[in-house]
Amino acid sequence: MADNKLPELDSTPIPLLEKVRSEGRVWEDLCEQYGVDNPDPPWKEALEGTCDALSAEACALPLLERRWEEDELSDDLYADVPYPERQLLALAHSMIRRGILDEEELARRMEEVTRRLNRV
Amino acid sequence: MAEKHKPAPMVDEVSEFEVLEVAVRELAIEKGLFSAEDHRRWTEYIHTLGPLPAARLVAKAWLDPEFKKLAVTDGVKASLDVGVDWISGMPTEFGTPSDYCNLRVLEDTPTVKHVVVCTLCSCYPRPILGQSPEWYRTPNYRRRLVRWPRQVLAEFGLQLPEGVTVRVEDSNQKSRFIVLPVRPEGTDGWSEDQLAEIVTRDCLIGVAVPKPGVTANTPRPVRPAVNPVEHH
Repeated sequence: MADNKLPELDSTPIPLLEKVRSEGRVWEDLCEQYGVDNPDPPWKEALEGTCDALSAEACALPLLERRWEEDELSDDLYADVPYPERQLLALAHSMIRRGILDEEELARRMEEVTRRLNRV
Repeated sequence: MAEKHKPAPMVDEVSEFEVLEVAVRELAIEKGLFSAEDHRRWTEYIHTLGPLPAARLVAKAWLDPEFKKLAVTDGVKASLDVGVDWISGMPTEFGTPSDYCNLRVLEDTPTVKHVVVCTLCSCYPRPILGQSPEWYRTPNYRRRLVRWPRQVLAEFGLQLPEGVTVRVEDSNQKSRFIVLPVRPEGTDGWSEDQLAEIVTRDCLIGVAVPKPGVTANTPRPVRPAVNPVEHH
């Protein structure tokens, strides 16, 4: 009988994502501070778009596998992070562990994006 | 005059999470996993989704027995009447792996109550019902509903009499479900618009029943699962 088991997910913490988890401000807190009542962060739809495109366009990360890994990481490593921040961390985690993204490359890009978005 | 034009409050801060989302997306595009155009198409599609078409489908079915017959026999065809094309309306134009083109409408009766779950992941009839709520995605809801449906429904505030049978329908990559609840008393003479207003997302999943005067979903608790996840 063929072994249909999915490849084991490496759920050990990833330093870059641990930094985001511990230092990042979740939407819930930002809403409270700024008096905003939108239930979802503005980046949520873009995140959903990325998840769909990753699954449908090139099958780089199939939906079912992503959701299973998200469940596993949400149960444990990112259990204290609210949704949808947890979904985002789990997606980045899966992509790094699968070798789709490189942690250092992602860290560099995050620095660039931070500079760009904060330029006024 | 100026006081009338106060800007709405805004979050004036870029969070690490927002930065992470942008960075992941940009790198995925640069690596050719999808194009910027693909992403725009998907995001715009997601933005259009919501529970209104499903609510309207139910309201129409309550008012028109012929339409109800169509809805319960061919949900995909009935969806066209509320502006949802399960086949060519998707960004891929042939359905999608996550929104497969088969919708079934589960008709409640006074003695049978349907409720929808996805035990495998979080399959959901997005084209007609929008994005799934957080609690629907949790392993806690997914595992417990199939084992103790009555108890879980009671936690949602839905106490069912002994004589009512509960049917749990498990979604999958081929089939999606919405519930067609029993039309509540006190709605005689109501228009389609009035009826659609009381068919909330939770009624369409089956964890609530429509009631005159109730037009919003109640906030639901999200609970962790006790046992670890194991996928085989």
